[in-house]
Amino acid sequence: MLRYTTRATNPAWYQDALELEFQLHIRADGASITTFYHDGKKEQWATGPTLSDEILKDPAKLESFIAEALRYARSNGAKSLGVILHIADEFATTELKPELNNPAALGDIKEAAILNPISILEDSTIIAEQASWRVIPYPAAGSLVIGSTITLSKQYEPLIAALHQTGEKENFPIISHALSAPLVAMMALSHSLTPTPDKPFVAILQYPWFTVLAFFNEHADLRLIRTLQNRGLNRPTGFINALTTTKASLEFIDPDIFIMRLGENVDATLDEDLRSHFNKCRVEIVEQNSIQGIPAWCPEPAISSPSSAVPVATILSHTFAILNDEKWALQNFLPISKDVVEIYPTRSEMRLLKMLRLARVAVFSIAFLCITYFCFGMVDLISRPEWSFQPSQADATQARLSKLTVERQRADHWNNLLEDRSKAWTSMESLARMFPENSGMLVKTYSHAAKPDTTQGNARIGFVKEWKITGYARDEALDYLNTINTKEGISAHFSEIATVTGNNSYRTNLGNRNIVVNIRTQENGSYKYVSPDEASNADESTYPFTFDLTITQRFEATDPMAINVSKNP
Amino acid sequence: MHLYRQSIILFGIVIPVAIAVGVLSIFFMIKSNMVESFDHKLKSYKTYCTAQNAGWEIEAGVNRQRKHIDRWNQQLSQETASAVTTSLREISDHLPSKELQQTAFERPGGKGGFGSISAQNSSQIRIAFRGTFRTIQRAFLELETRMPRLQLQDLKIDPSTSQSSLLNFQVTYTAWEN
Repeated sequence: MLRYTTRATNPAWYQDALELEFQLHIRADGASITTFYHDGKKEQWATGPTLSDEILKDPAKLESFIAEALRYARSNGAKSLGVILHIADEFATTELKPELNNPAALGDIKEAAILNPISILEDSTIIAEQASWRVIPYPAAGSLVIGSTITLSKQYEPLIAALHQTGEKENFPIISHALSAPLVAMMALSHSLTPTPDKPFVAILQYPWFTVLAFFNEHADLRLIRTLQNRGLNRPTGFINALTTTKASLEFIDPDIFIMRLGENVDATLDEDLRSHFNKCRVEIVEQNSIQGIPAWCPEPAISSPSSAVPVATILSHTFAILNDEKWALQNFLPISKDVVEIYPTRSEMRLLKMLRLARVAVFSIAFLCITYFCFGMVDLISRPEWSFQPSQADATQARLSKLTVERQRADHWNNLLEDRSKAWTSMESLARMFPENSGMLVKTYSHAAKPDTTQGNARIGFVKEWKITGYARDEALDYLNTINTKEGISAHFSEIATVTGNNSYRTNLGNRNIVVNIRTQENGSYKYVSPDEASNADESTYPFTFDLTITQRFEATDPMAINVSKNP
Repeated sequence: MHLYRQSIILFGIVIPVAIAVGVLSIFFMIKSNMVESFDHKLKSYKTYCTAQNAGWEIEAGVNRQRKHIDRWNQQLSQETASAVTTSLREISDHLPSKELQQTAFERPGGKGGFGSISAQNSSQIRIAFRGTFRTIQRAFLELETRMPRLQLQDLKIDPSTSQSSLLNFQVTYTAWEN
């Protein structure tokens, strides 16, 4: 919809023709049809294309007429064309039902005149489809009725329909508005005549085919509108009589009489005749302000079009106020039918459509951004080395790792079992260094045992190494034995053995292990004193003391040298 | 009056939004599946890298020990008693025979010493010698160096009653076996 129409972007589609800047005014008064262009921006009037009854009746010629108007509008930079039809070739009044005589109901009556005219008209024989009715109020106090209806035929409906169709076809807003020319002319009375104060007045609107009589009371409020058909003459037959009787029925005494000549060749002697018949009345011809491009006898286009130069009102009355402000005089007699109007979306729907298009663009933009984000994320994932990684590679590596782990466990297992935790040669080295030759000590027996700890349930088991040494000692060896009998003394000895042999099981400062020593010395019962020079080292009886040495070294299960319980994996 | 409002809202925003949400959902699902798959692969990849690094480290350690392990395996494959006998014969060949006399060789049944608490196979060897202190110590040094699978269970040293210059040695080993 947005693509094929400018309804969303061009507000003119939903404006009134009278509000548009560029307008084509068509005025048909029976004698002739005149057309004028009005450029509201430049406030200029120009002669419009030629239009005649023949053109109106020939669709092809009518199409050419509209095309020419469109071309001209476009060439002047217009984005829309308002066509205002001033119907000046007919004017009739129809009475309202007397029971509707309620000024407060005017709004409802006005609406009913458009939608259901039969419901408000006095004449029940009227066929609604044949004409168009619009209400005109009589605001004057003391009026017998609240208003009347103006009746116009639908002879110009084909023109309106053609304008509408061309606008749709060209996607160019052509908005029409059909006015009753006498009502528009009546609007101009407020600033074009100056009635005598406190006197009623009568406005006579002279058109080629009819004459309208508008009666205003002393407050310049409308009391009655009458129309008299000219029937091919210059003026209606019995016009003076009609004026006289109506004036009398309204009890107007010597009212002012103002004549508006609204046709090129209307009766120019009417004012003289009126003066002679109503010599106490003030009879004047209303002079129209001349506007360049528009003849003085057809002021309706200029009256109905907006202008920056608003003339000063010479009459201030309720009637003229509502004719202008409430636009009673500017009612559209030939609107586009509801069925045709409803084919197209309303302005609010077009706004909604436009707004939703933006919302849609936003939604799709967000969606596109999100998809782009997702795609970048996916490309980023795919480009990473991890993406091309095959899980089978991990399985192979895992299998290789398992194999290596088993191999390492085997190596660790044998490393543990083959640890130098208990060796005969290092024990002998310990014995030799603990009891060196000529040290005043003689070793009699030596036994060493290494036993595992009996605690069960652990992955590794500690063990105990025990040395039991018995022998003989002289006096000079007692201090040494006492030194060995201390923790520091035995630790120093073990450290020396560890250093000399490189065997870590003798290290006392490693892992979780402890060492306990106990030496018991007592007198040798078989001792016989011999001088030191004569004493033999191998002779047990030359040693005054015996000793009994026990060394216990315990390795806990948490010691690095603890034994693995498990089998080779 | 607003004949088209419902259609405009339906076709103008509801359906486009539904389509957009649908397409986004599809992409979101694809992305989620890819992320899930990637997380799985990443986990495998990290495991692979960790395993590879660990493998290299272990392999380096194993390679360093391989020659020892091979030697141990070769030794462990030999029968304990014959290996000890062979080693003692070779050791005694270059030591003074008077200072190293093997007086007994036994193979006690069952497990003993450290072997009693280990699931690893083991046997016991008991050997008796008569000889001098240092020569026997050298013999033990060589034997235990050649056969690291021997773990000393007990050692007793007594003076010889027949020859005062010699000592009696009785040693019991636990020998690890495959």
